[in-house]
Amino acid sequence: MKKILIPVLAVLASTAVRAQNPIITNQFTADPTARVFNGRLYLFPSHDIISPVEPKKKWFSMADYHMFSSTDLTEWTDHGIILSQEQVPWGKPDGYSMWAPDCVEKDGKYYFFFPDAPKEGRGFNIGVAIANNLFWPKFEPQQKPIEGVMGIDPCVLQTSKGESYLFWGGGGLVVAKMSDDLLSIEGKPQRIANLPEGFKEGPFAFERNGKFYLTYPWVREKDGTECLAYAMSDNPMGPYEYKGLIMKESKTGCWTNHHSIVEFNNQWYLFYHHNDYSPSFDKNRSVCVDSLFFNADGTIQEVIPTLRGVGVSDARKPVQIDRYSEIGGGASIDYLDKKNLFLGWKTLFPSAGAWVRYNKVNMKSSCAKNVCLRMKSSGKAVFTLSLGGFKTDLAVESTGDKWEDVNIETRTLPEGISDMTLTLKSADAPVEVDWVSLTNDPRPVYFKKPAEAKSTPDADGFIRRWSILEPEKMDIRSNVVFTDSYLKETFAKHIVPMKKLPADKQTTVVSGQKLMWHHLESNSYNNKLFRFSTMLGKPEYGVFFNVVTVINCAEDIDNVRLAVGSNGASQWLLNNSEILTLTGDRRMVKDDGTSKRVSLKKGANILRGMIINGPGMSDFCVRFIDESGNPITNFTISNK
Amino acid sequence: MNLYKISLTAFLLASAVSINKAFAQAGQPYIHDPSTIAESNGKYFTFGTGGGGLISEDGWSWHGGAERPGGGAAPDVIKIGDRYLVIYGATGGGLGGGHNGRILTMWNKSLDPKSPDFKYTEPIEVASSDGLEDCDAIDPGVLLDPTDGRMWLSYGTYFGNIRLIELDPKTGERVKGNKELDIAIDCEATDLIYRDGYYYLLGTHGTCCDGVNSTYNIVCGRSKKVTGPYIDNVGRDMKNGGGKMVIAAGKRVCGPGHFGRTIIDEGVEIMSCHFEADFDRSGRSVLGIRPLLWRNGWPVAGESFKEGTYQIASERRGYSLELAVDFVRMNQERAAWHRIDLNEPLKQIPNQTLDEVKQTWPSGNIDVRAGDYMYRPHQHWTIVAVPEAGGYLSNPYFAIKISGTDRALASTKDMEVTTEEKFTGADNQLWRIEQLTDGTFRIMPKAIPGKDGVNTEYCLYSVADSTPTLAKYDFKSDNSKWNFISAE
Repeated sequence: MKKILIPVLAVLASTAVRAQNPIITNQFTADPTARVFNGRLYLFPSHDIISPVEPKKKWFSMADYHMFSSTDLTEWTDHGIILSQEQVPWGKPDGYSMWAPDCVEKDGKYYFFFPDAPKEGRGFNIGVAIANNLFWPKFEPQQKPIEGVMGIDPCVLQTSKGESYLFWGGGGLVVAKMSDDLLSIEGKPQRIANLPEGFKEGPFAFERNGKFYLTYPWVREKDGTECLAYAMSDNPMGPYEYKGLIMKESKTGCWTNHHSIVEFNNQWYLFYHHNDYSPSFDKNRSVCVDSLFFNADGTIQEVIPTLRGVGVSDARKPVQIDRYSEIGGGASIDYLDKKNLFLGWKTLFPSAGAWVRYNKVNMKSSCAKNVCLRMKSSGKAVFTLSLGGFKTDLAVESTGDKWEDVNIETRTLPEGISDMTLTLKSADAPVEVDWVSLTNDPRPVYFKKPAEAKSTPDADGFIRRWSILEPEKMDIRSNVVFTDSYLKETFAKHIVPMKKLPADKQTTVVSGQKLMWHHLESNSYNNKLFRFSTMLGKPEYGVFFNVVTVINCAEDIDNVRLAVGSNGASQWLLNNSEILTLTGDRRMVKDDGTSKRVSLKKGANILRGMIINGPGMSDFCVRFIDESGNPITNFTISNK
Repeated sequence: MNLYKISLTAFLLASAVSINKAFAQAGQPYIHDPSTIAESNGKYFTFGTGGGGLISEDGWSWHGGAERPGGGAAPDVIKIGDRYLVIYGATGGGLGGGHNGRILTMWNKSLDPKSPDFKYTEPIEVASSDGLEDCDAIDPGVLLDPTDGRMWLSYGTYFGNIRLIELDPKTGERVKGNKELDIAIDCEATDLIYRDGYYYLLGTHGTCCDGVNSTYNIVCGRSKKVTGPYIDNVGRDMKNGGGKMVIAAGKRVCGPGHFGRTIIDEGVEIMSCHFEADFDRSGRSVLGIRPLLWRNGWPVAGESFKEGTYQIASERRGYSLELAVDFVRMNQERAAWHRIDLNEPLKQIPNQTLDEVKQTWPSGNIDVRAGDYMYRPHQHWTIVAVPEAGGYLSNPYFAIKISGTDRALASTKDMEVTTEEKFTGADNQLWRIEQLTDGTFRIMPKAIPGKDGVNTEYCLYSVADSTPTLAKYDFKSDNSKWNFISAE
């Protein structure tokens, strides 16, 4: 629980997202504008939602903007909401019209341009919100929209001469020169003329090698959908000469496309969108990125959308091979769960010979000897994994048609960047694979299901067997609130009433949250609640845990102390009497504090604990010790 | 993780207001997560989170200006041969978004941006965490093992384990095939040091970045092997959260973190850290330097030297430094002890005062000697800092004067010590006072008349029980050591 204040707030406000195409996997995103500031790539997309007002699933609905950023285009940080519709003084607070935005930097300030429905009248205006930094962005919207601009899809072109131009969509593509303060336009807006017929919107203009590029979504055929096209000029305001396509229309019929083009670390990229997470409703879109290349004459090569996207993937993390570079031999992909498409995809290997290739994975360790396949099969199979020229066979058993992380020890895997191919060499039955990761050792498994009715403490007396309730999500941003009086009140308020011991998988409703009990045996002396949460996809930070176990004694054991270490504060009850509270911002330290002398009675003793934490990795270790500090081990532990 | 650190330091470095306080590093010592202090081009350097760091000409007064590319967090520095290896943590997720940290190393022939040799090599990645595992690869601390020349690096934060890896001291790269080892939990900003057959792992516990409420503190465990286990004083492994306190909050500062050890001389060691908040400097995060003491094989931070009136006793015999003047007897109404009247009320005997004895002292220089302490004015020394004279790592220079007078202890050109009637601020009247690892002190004149430059060799020395002189400092000899005992 370091990183109080700024860090903690930042941790809670931002979440890491990691993906190929689509690149944002925790929400819908569209109309991506990518900009590079201070060596970091920032992404300003629209945020599609399913309209909370009628008509649902009929039209676009966008209530706010998130900002994302990355340094390697594979790890994305979601910085959370940077502007929402009710913050815009001139905007309709329930307009759901926060369409395609842009953001540029000038003199150390960040100017965020966005369309919104005005409070009065119809159509769209374009507004500006200004922030002093992007580390802790607080975009303050101007009182009024930019005067004289009616339309959507703002794009600000900052030329190498230091001039700025505003492009937008409104009955075609429009451009106007901007004032130096970027808050108004100068002169009369000018329509971009002489482009081929058809609906156009979403202009994105940029300068490269003295040429100006105007790129735009375009419906080139009657009743068609949008492709991405571009025109070039020697001047920012034109005249522009049509040059060709950047990306063809969606093969699956997503009507819109909207994009931006940016150079980052000496490579050009096209950011665009597609409805991968919403195949049946194309107003819920997701941002993708692919590399873009120029010809020697400055024209743009067509970009073929890929699933693999860009960036080098860390081989130690789950590599989503369903975002393949190439696929063959009968292999195909499908959604993991058709009820929750955000869970992503899987690769189907129906029979021997099916293969998938995923380019550019980086093995950073020189002693990796473990391949983990997240897979499902009902028979034995052998895969061949190749990394560049390196090949190894991976023999796997049936998983009983359930998803399992299957670890296979190999000889040392090659260090460095290579293309990874997974081929099904032989199989008794079809195999499905969610992802592949390459690590030094199998990842630790923190808990297991208790095998026997009773367990014993470990050699050091630590109690590893518990019934653990899924965490109650608390609004705790840092542990500085953990005063003794706060803890006393919070423990008293949040302890889960318990008439009898909870059964495995039993649910209970706490503060409106439906939580489940889990009977578990920890593989480590400290019970890693943080990983318990990770394992179940439950909240990891700002949490309140209830745990309970039964200490069965063959005889009375007097003069013992309960010794506890916990991250963070905790309270412990033996047979319903409070015997120990560890207060303050605590860490998991063996024997951090003990109870006064207590007695364990013959028969069953109920030991309960509550652990509360803000931003730390919650865990605890508990044992009984005797007068000399030696562990007590002559009892058994059970869930009942 | 940790751009929070970057912004904090950027904020700290951006500020240029100086509030001088005696006995805290002078100048603008604003830094977060300082690296171990390194010497280059005759100056001292420490690098912090962000891109910059601090420079000091004398070790006492610090200002911004050190340069380190790459941003990121909490660097460490070590001199190997004629090059410096700078190691830092770059945060992958950044902005608090993830725990996929990376540790990078780079070389420079000089740390001084003004040197023509100042040019960093391309950074090399030596460790990384993938964001899912129980580790965040930032906060490196480096050790060059003096017993065999191998180089080790500890890193990590509260997000899981502290890890140990081996680097090649020739290249700064990871040793091929070296597998990381978990050596501690629940701490961050670790550092490794070696002393007398033990490896020590120092880690920072508590909470940073909360100003005057930050609870950061530094603890340690030790091991006979660099690979651990690192055990604390009650036998608890740091992998179980063990650790013995080295330093916590002090007077008007709190939140020490990011330990660094600098050996100045045999038996003269300091530890550097930051204090999360200096109560006399708006609660800013500042560089802190304290003497590093060793007690029963455990490191403990000593306290900064305090101004005051002291008896200066030799470690050799326990005699006290005094003016070579007449012993002035004190008056007392005496009765033979067997004739005392138990009914007679007790009287207080007043202290002998300076005024009672001063007229017996000659004018001009008076020699000093060491004698048995009698609680007399000629044995009482008032020690005050002379901030305008600069300082050295740990303290400013001091004037050592007979209490109540302007008579100052001074070095002479024939390598002896005397007292001069007037304090002039001359270098031979300025003294460097450093606490040694055993808790005693060495006292050195800033300069010796007739010798060029700042003296770092000769100290106040008991050549005989009653004869102080100047001689080469030798930690092995009690003749070099003195104790300050408050006479107030």
